[in-house]
Amino acid sequence: MQIKERPIPNAVILDLNGDLTYAHRDVFKSAVETLRQKGCRHVILNMADVRFVDSSGLGLLALVSQNFKLNQGKVSMLRPQSYVREILGLANITKLIPVFDNEQDAVNGNAQAA
Amino acid sequence: MNPDTLSKPAVSPAVATVLLVDDEPVSRLSMAARLKRMGLRVLEAGNGKEGLAILRRERPDLTILDWVMPEMDGPTVCEQVRQDPDILSSQLILMTSQDQPEQIAEGLARGADDFLSKAASKQEILARVQSSLRAASLVRSIESARDELRAKQDELERELRSAADYIHSLLPAVGNATPGIRMSWIYRPSLALGGDLFNFSTWDDQSAYFYILDASGHGVSPALRAASFATFLRAENLRHCITQNDPAAMLVEANRRYPLTEDGSYFTIWIGSFDRTTHQLRYATAGHGGALIQRRDGSIEWLTHAHLPLGFEPDSTYELTTVQIADGDRVILMSDGIYEAPAPTGELWGTTRLETTLMAHRSAPLGEALPALMAEAERWHGSPVFPDDAALLGLEFRL
Repeated sequence: MQIKERPIPNAVILDLNGDLTYAHRDVFKSAVETLRQKGCRHVILNMADVRFVDSSGLGLLALVSQNFKLNQGKVSMLRPQSYVREILGLANITKLIPVFDNEQDAVNGNAQAA
Repeated sequence: MNPDTLSKPAVSPAVATVLLVDDEPVSRLSMAARLKRMGLRVLEAGNGKEGLAILRRERPDLTILDWVMPEMDGPTVCEQVRQDPDILSSQLILMTSQDQPEQIAEGLARGADDFLSKAASKQEILARVQSSLRAASLVRSIESARDELRAKQDELERELRSAADYIHSLLPAVGNATPGIRMSWIYRPSLALGGDLFNFSTWDDQSAYFYILDASGHGVSPALRAASFATFLRAENLRHCITQNDPAAMLVEANRRYPLTEDGSYFTIWIGSFDRTTHQLRYATAGHGGALIQRRDGSIEWLTHAHLPLGFEPDSTYELTTVQIADGDRVILMSDGIYEAPAPTGELWGTTRLETTLMAHRSAPLGEALPALMAEAERWHGSPVFPDDAALLGLEFRL
């Protein structure tokens, strides 16, 4: 999995490319944790190029969401593909991590919640 | 090249053994004398056949073979050595007076590691012998590391099998779970140890409960966590935590006790409780989708709804759904490994094909319908080992 960090005003976008699965847990977890430790309050996971999320991937999403909440921070998701959206929906992950269709809505979603 | 470095062998010459195979006594004697002066132990053979027998018996560090010999020539010995798994890593040097490039190529192609002209200088012989002994020593150390790894692997596998036996001992007995309920199951962990478990327990005279749980991930750690969770779910333990046979209350308690681990591992679980008087099944689920009821007429209803897995939210509450059970109904719990079994093309088996298979085997006894379902999923996957654990628990109600 490749992860690119892209700061925007009031948030950092992580462009994820590949599968969010057990095999890639370390690279994903360390990318998100690094942002949290740097004091980032809102990370937006761009899921547009993620083809598959397995059960370990769901756990990681829940974990990073919980960790950000501990710091009064927040995790959002951007444009998951339809199959991934279905997996996220079945596990009700969208209850923990809101999903947006564009970056501006994701940033504003945070502004409204804050 | 510095002659000093040539005179210092890379491997301890005192222990290195060289087998010299040559049918000409004079040249053999002279080469043997040179090798002995290098501090090597020298074994001798007068033809290829005899040489091969000594090689098998003595396993020398290096074998130097004349090309032309009676009984069996040098290249044929090389070929035989390379075909024998016990000795194929032996170091072999072919020796001849005709060192044409084509001949060198043929010798190497037939299995020699190096080539030595009979006209070679003392220094060249020394250098080639030392280089081959270095290679032999490397091969030996790789082989001994490999043997050590194999031994450790065997030990680990023995321990895994013993742990797997323990996990199996946690599973319920097949047959009459309780009067009026027949039980059958199939359990196929993707590795030696599975993170999926299920069970059926009696709560009191009136009611029973049963569950299937799935620890995320594969291997030892999920299996340990699953075993711990299954222990928590034993009736004698649950009665200390909750007052009624209530799946939603069990999940609230479990959610509190099993938060996400530091690496994001968690459980999904489905629990149902059955009341023998009212014939009502009440169930709750935390992220587990593999539960359905198949009525006597074959029709299927999935007993599930979207809910977060355990540990995702500390204060989750769980919805309790009630279903009326009729005589002949079957409740089937399964891990997602079954309907998510991928075909070689990557396409998942899916719940629709699973339903079709269940309908086709509705008239068969439960103990035959479940294996048929598993067989169909395996046929789709193309192998009996799924990438994920596969567990299947069936209950048939005779009311």
